[in-house]
Amino acid sequence: MDTSNPAVFVNGGLMRMYVGRRIRTVIQVIQSDGGGVTGKSTDGHQLVVKGPQPGFPLTTFVEVIGIADTDRSIRAEIWNNFGNTFDTQSYNQLCQLANGEFKHLFI
Amino acid sequence: MYSGEFDGAAAFSGGGFMPSQATTVPDPSSSFSKNRNVRTLLPMTVKQLSELSSNDESSASIDGADVNTITVVGIVCDMQDKEPQFIFLIDDGTGRIECSRWAHEQMEFNEVNQISKGMYVRVYGHLKAFQDKRSLNAYSLRPIIDFNEITSHFVECIYVQLYNTRLRYSFDEGKSIDQMVLNFLRRPEFLANNNGVHRNVISQQLNLPMDKLMEALESLNENSLVYSIDEFHYKSAVNA
Repeated sequence: MDTSNPAVFVNGGLMRMYVGRRIRTVIQVIQSDGGGVTGKSTDGHQLVVKGPQPGFPLTTFVEVIGIADTDRSIRAEIWNNFGNTFDTQSYNQLCQLANGEFKHLFI
Repeated sequence: MYSGEFDGAAAFSGGGFMPSQATTVPDPSSSFSKNRNVRTLLPMTVKQLSELSSNDESSASIDGADVNTITVVGIVCDMQDKEPQFIFLIDDGTGRIECSRWAHEQMEFNEVNQISKGMYVRVYGHLKAFQDKRSLNAYSLRPIIDFNEITSHFVECIYVQLYNTRLRYSFDEGKSIDQMVLNFLRRPEFLANNNGVHRNVISQQLNLPMDKLMEALESLNENSLVYSIDEFHYKSAVNA
């Protein structure tokens, strides 16, 4: 078992706590172009995701796992399509719990 | 592989992940070893698994609950085909764990063939330990199709931990533990036994730390609701 390289559940607001560290988040894709993918985080912030885009087309909701470059941008390592419907409210609450009193279950 | 190992009725009775006390009847003649009639199915993160108290999987426990069957959700980051054993390295974001799936029948091969690298999967299995290394003996691996299941899994991990550490003992902690111990000692099989019940058995069956149990027993003793037969055995003073 290896717990040395976790990816922390974050929303837009929590990213500032993990700049430079490995995170994971779900965004709603707003726009995708050469500059990267712009998306809305589950708490309504606008995030930019850079890095080599996957070979497949993105669905409305995408999970991005990568390094938080700044408090609003991510350098993606992994992209996972989460489909066109997703419960962002529950995910957002999970992010808060996973960074609050239940942090010890995750990192 | 499927029959005999996973008792679905026992694991899911009680309406949730936690075995209901009403469904288990302890065998008074059993020794202090783990009561294998109680099967648990616990959703866990790999981080939690890495911190389990014991390296011997037959007696592992977390927050007072026995660890039998567990379920994890994560991404398949590596796969090895060593037929009939298939080894999957699952990364759930909190850590990575190796899951072995043995396939002998067509149905099992079909299940394994559905899994590919990079995919999110739900795994059910038993924890096993070999020397220092912990891994899962998976008896079910399936792709995740609704990604809300990922959120749901981690929320369940949080809930189960909260339940086992706090909600199990209600807010009025002192009162409910006393009542719980009294109810336990009033079970027919214990009322009938003149030798009383050893406090270790009570502690283990109710998943109570010894200090809390002793507080309850002393309080019940003072109120003449239970009495001690010797230093370690207790009996209800009242016939239910």
